[in-house]
Amino acid sequence: MTESHGQATVETTTLVGTEPVPVEVQVDVAPGLPGFSIVGLGDTAVLEARERVRSAVRSTGFRFPNARVVVNLAPGPLRKHGTGFDLPIALGLLAATAQIPSELWSGRRAVGELSLDGAVRPVPGMLAHALGARRDHLPLLGPLDSAHLAGGLPGLQYRGISSLARILSEESLPAVSSSHGTRFAAPDLADVTGLNTARRALEIAAAGGLNLLFTGPPGSGKTMLARRLGPILPPLEGEERIETALVHSVAGLHEGPALRGQRPFRAPHHSASLAGLVGGGSPPRPGEVSLAHNGVLFLDELPEFAPSALQSLRQPMEDGWITLVRAEGRIRFPARFTLVAAANPCPCGYLGDPVKVCRCTESTVLRYQGRIGGPLMDRIDMAVSVERIDPSALVRGADGESSDRVRERVSDARAHARHAARPLAATLSGGELIAACRFDSQTRQTLTEVGRQHHLSGRAITRLMRVARTIADIEGSSQVGTVHVMEALGFRREDLR
Amino acid sequence: MSTTVMWSLRRGDDGYPFELEDLPDPPEVLYGFGDPGLLGGGLAVIGSRRATPYGLACARRFAGWAAANGIPVVSGAAIGCDLESHRTALAVDGPTVAVMPCGADIDYPRRASGTLAEIRSRGVVVSEAPWGSEPKRWSFVRRNRLIAALSLGILVVEAGLPSGTFTTADHALAIGRDVFAVPGSILAPECRGANRLIRQGALPITDVSELAQALGQEARAEIPPHCSDRLLSALIASPMRPDDVAREFDLDIVQTIRTLGVLESQRLVTRYPDGRYGTLPR
Repeated sequence: MTESHGQATVETTTLVGTEPVPVEVQVDVAPGLPGFSIVGLGDTAVLEARERVRSAVRSTGFRFPNARVVVNLAPGPLRKHGTGFDLPIALGLLAATAQIPSELWSGRRAVGELSLDGAVRPVPGMLAHALGARRDHLPLLGPLDSAHLAGGLPGLQYRGISSLARILSEESLPAVSSSHGTRFAAPDLADVTGLNTARRALEIAAAGGLNLLFTGPPGSGKTMLARRLGPILPPLEGEERIETALVHSVAGLHEGPALRGQRPFRAPHHSASLAGLVGGGSPPRPGEVSLAHNGVLFLDELPEFAPSALQSLRQPMEDGWITLVRAEGRIRFPARFTLVAAANPCPCGYLGDPVKVCRCTESTVLRYQGRIGGPLMDRIDMAVSVERIDPSALVRGADGESSDRVRERVSDARAHARHAARPLAATLSGGELIAACRFDSQTRQTLTEVGRQHHLSGRAITRLMRVARTIADIEGSSQVGTVHVMEALGFRREDLR
Repeated sequence: MSTTVMWSLRRGDDGYPFELEDLPDPPEVLYGFGDPGLLGGGLAVIGSRRATPYGLACARRFAGWAAANGIPVVSGAAIGCDLESHRTALAVDGPTVAVMPCGADIDYPRRASGTLAEIRSRGVVVSEAPWGSEPKRWSFVRRNRLIAALSLGILVVEAGLPSGTFTTADHALAIGRDVFAVPGSILAPECRGANRLIRQGALPITDVSELAQALGQEARAEIPPHCSDRLLSALIASPMRPDDVAREFDLDIVQTIRTLGVLESQRLVTRYPDGRYGTLPR
């Protein structure tokens, strides 16, 4: 005989942004009119747990008490959302009615959604919950489908179950280790014929983490080039993998590729809403800028984006974070990415085309180019103009260097900067940047003359130095010389009048 | 000092430029600012709105010479070559005449308002459109016949295809004015219009002395800069992208970009807005 009344408390976590916050699930089974209520600021998904838990408990051979069941989610003032409370509520119910022994639930966390037949399913943000458990040194009980996370998080004790019915069975499935060094099917630079200037620009952007703008007529391969930046970046390292995978996990995307080291490539369409781009909604979800964290954010047709959307990119591009301020509080998502933007030179796209005639007027061209706000343009370090590719060159086939070869040079350049205890050139500015360049007097003079000749603003010179510093890194040179400045000059972005 | 008062002249009035009588349909009334004595006998310097550095440099060179020699530089105040011609004339403190497609008191294009204000006080801004008229689609073509009539000859510094300079050239030929054109690269689309004018009989102008001779003035012949560098000669012949340069000269792309950077900082070439590198004539 089992007792039919009692109390039990099971620990779980709820997510505030990407932050797992501990929540106590207190279950009280008391005599009275049969009923099932959940209190503690849960959203609709939390309240619906009643039906899922009732069915899951019954269909897995347990007994649902014919009593008054009250579930309290503490702390009370914190808003809770999602379906991850199903499993802890069910465990609490079974514990309060003494249907499962205490070692199954006490001193550990539980997160998971239940099906009506008792199957345990993953919820968005499983990785965040797992990190929370590791942080607080508690074992985590969750869906079997998420058992691979344990392999990527040393120090995490994870027990995965496929169904509530397996809760009593002693078998503990071995954690599947995440596979390292998996090859990703990615577009290769070897496919890019001609366009050597653009290839070089990609290499420099990758080595310095610099933001890049491609301009050119439709069909000149701007998108094709942008897609090839990700694969020439060195794979994600330790903490970066977790950070990136965490955002993907919270957004409900598969975290596997990031955990294996693949850098994200996000290409939101220019009709993307502000919330879609920077994050938002209730509960707040990470936007495209955060999904591109540690990877590449590609904005095609840059001037077609809403000005407000482009403005909103400013904070993440400066701080590497996006802060969403909501009535319930501030939520931060990481958003450090390399921006690759593409723009037509004018609304019709054929300005400067050797064959097709541009039909735009001067003022429409200026208005079009002016749509990209100054603050955003300030953060774009390099510009390359690309020409429509000659079809014959395209048909001739691949003759370019492969992404693997380029990635080696990029990794070497980054290692060179790291060896000199310097961060990526993209994050350098001011005196730090000048010190990092270690100019000799001749180079300094050249730079001054170049700045005067092209009427470069202070910011434009900063961008020029960042590019030159990166080029020197690619060559393994500790000093930035005149040749590097001369090359950087070729990638300068013309300031709009 | 000239005057900035506004005036209007009826056909037959004293000071109404007799050159306009060459037109089959001279304007009944002229409205303008500045010294009407500058009207007539000028040199029209006209060209594309979307001018390349080449076109702008040519406009500077020839408008500068004319204005410095007291020949009024006549143009249409449009963005690009036209405005560059006016500005050069003002810069050398020479006479210049802006013939407007709208009322002479209207700043069109808006970006030219500063230059127009200067011309009103130091040159002439003139129009056949009454005060306050906005530009109309057809008024540009009508305006071009006045540019032709007020000049001894018209010089097209840069024109693509199609080009508004063709109507000016047509008007000029119809009333017996000379048509000159600055030739450009046969590969550059920005130069096709000017090259076509030459094929159709316009006098090619390649330096100031030729222009002076054509206008019956005296000038010393210039020696074209000698160029020994193969790459530089190629870029003088036709603007090229770094990719093309690398292919053409069998250079490594990094080397190419650096060489172009050096040439650019020596002010021998310049990067065009579309990414090509070309010459920067002084």
